[in-house]
Amino acid sequence: MTEYQQILSDLSNELVSFTKGRFEVGENTELVGDLDLDSLQIMELLLFLEDSFDISIPVSILPDVKTVGELALQVEKIMRGG
Amino acid sequence: MNLMTDIKISMMPTPTKNSLPLRLADFVTLAAALDYAAEGETGANFYSGRGKLTAVLPYRELRQQALMLARRLLSLSLERGARVAIVAETNPDFLRFFFACQYAGLVPVALPAVVNIGGHAAYVGKLRGLLQGCRASVAMASDQFLPFLSEAAEGVDLTFLGTPAEFDKLPEQNVELQCSGPTEIAYLQYTSGSTGFPRGVMITQQTVLANLAGTASHGGISMQADDRCVSWLPFYHDMGLVGCLLTLIATQRSIDYLDTRDFAMRPRRWLELMSSTRATISFSPPFGYALCARRVSAEDVAQYDLSAWRVAGIGAEPIRAELTDRFAKLLAPAGFSPDAFVPCYGMAESSLAISFSPLGKGVMVDWIDADELAENMRAKPVGAGKGSGFVRCGTPLPGHEIVIRDEHGNTLPDLHVGRINVRGPSVMSGYFELPEQTRLALSPDGWLDTGDLGYLVDGSIVVTGRHKDMLIINGRNIWPQDIESIAERQPELRSLDASAFCVPGADYEEVAVMVVQCNINNPAESHQLTQRLHREIHEELGINCLIELVPRHTLPRTSSGKLSRSAARADYLLRQKNEKTRVAVEVASEAELSSQPEKMLAHG
Repeated sequence: MTEYQQILSDLSNELVSFTKGRFEVGENTELVGDLDLDSLQIMELLLFLEDSFDISIPVSILPDVKTVGELALQVEKIMRGG
Repeated sequence: MNLMTDIKISMMPTPTKNSLPLRLADFVTLAAALDYAAEGETGANFYSGRGKLTAVLPYRELRQQALMLARRLLSLSLERGARVAIVAETNPDFLRFFFACQYAGLVPVALPAVVNIGGHAAYVGKLRGLLQGCRASVAMASDQFLPFLSEAAEGVDLTFLGTPAEFDKLPEQNVELQCSGPTEIAYLQYTSGSTGFPRGVMITQQTVLANLAGTASHGGISMQADDRCVSWLPFYHDMGLVGCLLTLIATQRSIDYLDTRDFAMRPRRWLELMSSTRATISFSPPFGYALCARRVSAEDVAQYDLSAWRVAGIGAEPIRAELTDRFAKLLAPAGFSPDAFVPCYGMAESSLAISFSPLGKGVMVDWIDADELAENMRAKPVGAGKGSGFVRCGTPLPGHEIVIRDEHGNTLPDLHVGRINVRGPSVMSGYFELPEQTRLALSPDGWLDTGDLGYLVDGSIVVTGRHKDMLIINGRNIWPQDIESIAERQPELRSLDASAFCVPGADYEEVAVMVVQCNINNPAESHQLTQRLHREIHEELGINCLIELVPRHTLPRTSSGKLSRSAARADYLLRQKNEKTRVAVEVASEAELSSQPEKMLAHG
């Protein structure tokens, strides 16, 4: 499994528990459009990512992230150091 | 990270104690206030989301840095009073640029550094509206925000746009600085205007200093020599800029900052920092206290020491006593006193503060008859716990007056609800380059119509409702027009097809709702429209909005053909109630049919 796939799978699992299994979560699932996450849930999600991958997520990446896959990709980029 | 090379960092926070005698904002300009604060040892400290001290900026250092940057800004040959737009992140650069403007006679404008998931286009559009609205000459953003700012500045005539490091390459002019004078504009504060029409509140030096002096006085928070503040409020909000930066510099006190997003992610950091710094003052809208009350566990509380916290300011949205009670009970073992709560009332148009509830008294609730309020706009006192409870926000700051007016402009007696009008030295000069809006808000004899509804009792202000129709979600003002315009631009909808308002939700929060009328009968299409609206509203406004689709001609109109938001809201609440009843009846009848023990469980 590549690093990206690992992140994607961790992130998807977290999102499934976040939304109490109400949704199927895949690479193209939209965080707000499909999963209905509110701003505080997004904060909790970022907290999960920062703590599990020991990274700091710059706020400026958010505007260009819509889907679960895009978020996983950004996390991978940050882990590689930019 | 560029600032790291420029600002000398000593990794010990600035002290609480200052060798300099305390002065309560009795200065003629913000530059003069910083000149004095720079003679002491206090300053601003910045912490990361993980609680690490990342930057220390003593006011002494801030002054030197700001003076140097002011001389660099002069190399751009800007006209006096030119606007310098700053994407306002919580870091030392914001302070440096803000005060460089003060020394150079320029006008700083804080731009929001808040972005939503997928909100790229919306954020750029917002920045562009602000750059155009203030006719900025210069704009600054950190490396991470510069791409958005550059995109927003396309087609905007700027003299200079860059990161702090790029500004630091400008040549320093060896000339005498002429700092912004008492009657000149100290800053523009962009406020509650709907996003299509940003309104820049003009605040002069003497105006903001009058507000700071009032806030620091006995009529306000009565600043003391051993006070220290913690803040996570953003600098692009009046409470963050005026309340939690300028007030501290004008009274030479130290402050510890957490980034707003770090607070939203890790609300407990606020209370940890309050404990470790022995802070005495902190302000938050109710949602900040609610967020802590939700996340903090008994084990956390055991780690805190909040016994020094004497001013727990609370304002900017309706205050509910259940929330402050819950927060105080939860944190009592950590030494937090319910009497520390200081409800306050204010707005950017009056610099910031208009009134503070008396110190050391906690939250005082006025119980009034709900029907009298709704039908006759009267506050008829009833027994505690009966009727509607509203929080008293105290008497106006020294030198300020408040009257309550009816719709014809007549002054109303105590306990009559009307529009709150304020007059005094903290009131703005007007909205930047918006004479019509200014005329609507400010009377020729200096009265500011706040647009808020409330009444006076024993000299104290009680706010019963904020501006007509405005939604307040997590401390932010959202105009219904901004939500509705997102609906109206959808291909399947027309203008006047949407009505937005808020309704009470769980956990002391207000929830945004939009009722949309359309001719869609296909469930897949309805679902698709609902989802699209939900996403676009989140991207642009950063809030979640419940969407209800109804058949065309459902939304109620006024006699003049306009949509009535209050009637749409009443209809919506009625539908919800009927729906609940229907579901309850169905559940009950199902339960009848199913096994008896289960029903007993449900009741037991």
